[in-house]
Amino acid sequence: MFVSQSMTREVITINKDADIFEAKDKMTKHRIRHLPVVAKDNRIIGIVSDRDIRSALPCSLLKDYDTGKVREKLLAFKIKDIMIIDPFTVSLSYTIQDAIMLMQKTRVGAFPVVDKQGRIKGIISTRDLLHAFINVLGIEESGTLLCIIAEEKIGQLKKIVDAITEENISFGSVLVARYWDEGKKAVFPYLLTKKVSHVKRKLKKMGYTLLDPTEWYINQIAQDN
Amino acid sequence: MNKTGFLYDERYLLHNTGPYHPEVPARLEAIYSGIKDTNLLSMLTLIKASSADLKWIETVHEKNYINRFKDACLAGKKIFDSPDNQMCPETYDTALLAVGGILDTIDLVMKNKIDNAFCAVRPPGHHAEISKAMGFCYFNNVAIAARYLQKEWNIKKVGIVDFDVHHGNGTQHIFEQDPSVFYYSIHQHPSFGYPGTGQEFEKGSGPGYGFTLNSPVLPDQGDSEYKKFFENDLLAAFETFKPEVIIVSTGFDAHVDDDMSDIRLSTEGFSWIMGKIVKMASIYSNGRLISVLEGGYSLKRLPELAKNHVEILLNS
Repeated sequence: MFVSQSMTREVITINKDADIFEAKDKMTKHRIRHLPVVAKDNRIIGIVSDRDIRSALPCSLLKDYDTGKVREKLLAFKIKDIMIIDPFTVSLSYTIQDAIMLMQKTRVGAFPVVDKQGRIKGIISTRDLLHAFINVLGIEESGTLLCIIAEEKIGQLKKIVDAITEENISFGSVLVARYWDEGKKAVFPYLLTKKVSHVKRKLKKMGYTLLDPTEWYINQIAQDN
Repeated sequence: MNKTGFLYDERYLLHNTGPYHPEVPARLEAIYSGIKDTNLLSMLTLIKASSADLKWIETVHEKNYINRFKDACLAGKKIFDSPDNQMCPETYDTALLAVGGILDTIDLVMKNKIDNAFCAVRPPGHHAEISKAMGFCYFNNVAIAARYLQKEWNIKKVGIVDFDVHHGNGTQHIFEQDPSVFYYSIHQHPSFGYPGTGQEFEKGSGPGYGFTLNSPVLPDQGDSEYKKFFENDLLAAFETFKPEVIIVSTGFDAHVDDDMSDIRLSTEGFSWIMGKIVKMASIYSNGRLISVLEGGYSLKRLPELAKNHVEILLNS
């Protein structure tokens, strides 16, 4: 799971001397929120987000805010005046996990992906990471989610996976929630099948608690209140 | 009392899904015995199946898909498209018989020979996509039925009610852009059940927006939630849409004793639902209603559920 596999390769970029309207139009046309600013040799020199653009433009509720004299004045401002200089970047060898953690830490919505020379190779945004996560979960394929409570001790996951594999069922994914009740973990296998009744019975016989999702919902609501 | 048709053909038992599969021929035998043992057969118009003309299958499925399915069957493949779709050499012909029988049933309804009917067919259909077999389904029986009603019998507005506990992804996708077919499904919430579609925000698209309606039900909710959804969602929608014919995707798998789901619907709950649908048919579609079997896997409960289902069709 590397950034190089999940990033958007066709990067829409902008020149530092372009005006703000050009950047706004590009974002609207391509339905994106970040434009890396690159030099002639494709080296990254900045980034501009839709928030930067909106801060730079007058209120859209005002009449004629982007026509006539107002527009003429605004045209004098260039991307280099509003861009973030020296933005956070990630390298091609970053993992998806690295990117997610960095995103959480920096609260930035997209990172340009650069090679060793700092030349742009792609961009990875929250949307790309979401897509990567959907891929990892396997949820684009039809299937059934099980919710299993297991004791927190070595070998539980193996037992569960083995029991399901013996039934000739393919996995979309297996998630483990670490923080559950004390001494317990919750395991969520996403199975690419409709035929789960047999394996559910089997897991219950093995002593696992299959969580009733509704019960869990109701407990959560009670806790939230 | 209504004239009610009952489509059943022993050749539907020939589709063998192999070991460890819940969609077994014994399901149909259980349904048949439930109706026969309570002496209902003599009150029904019995219908035998004929094989469907491919031109009707092609109103829904891509030719390439139909050929792939046929070839897989001829080649003796045990699985088609997904590991859930276990099959045998007779599966393709049986699937054609399922559709053919339903189309024959439609003819009887449209010629006023019968008022309504229950089609006890295998394999089921509502998960089948235009070019993909899924969830034990190969041809989308009800979707082909709806197209047949429109093309052969000039019906303008078809209403499909799907109360199988799984969402009918195939049926929804086939008609999601089509305002002439209203698709309503009530099912176990997609977060906790196969196939993972059928959220309440899925309402159709383009010209078909507003002609798809989903009521996802959380596990363990049982009769009261089903009744609430049915009354608030479906009854209101059909009052506006006014279907000329109603097709029902009948699944008995939301039953409390059916371990394919966690919905816990009672036997009486099923009767209540069917009673409401039949009533809608009498109000909007001159009683014309074709019920087509989808799921339902409790061999213990299928006899009584099928018996009640047919009695409601007869006595409404």
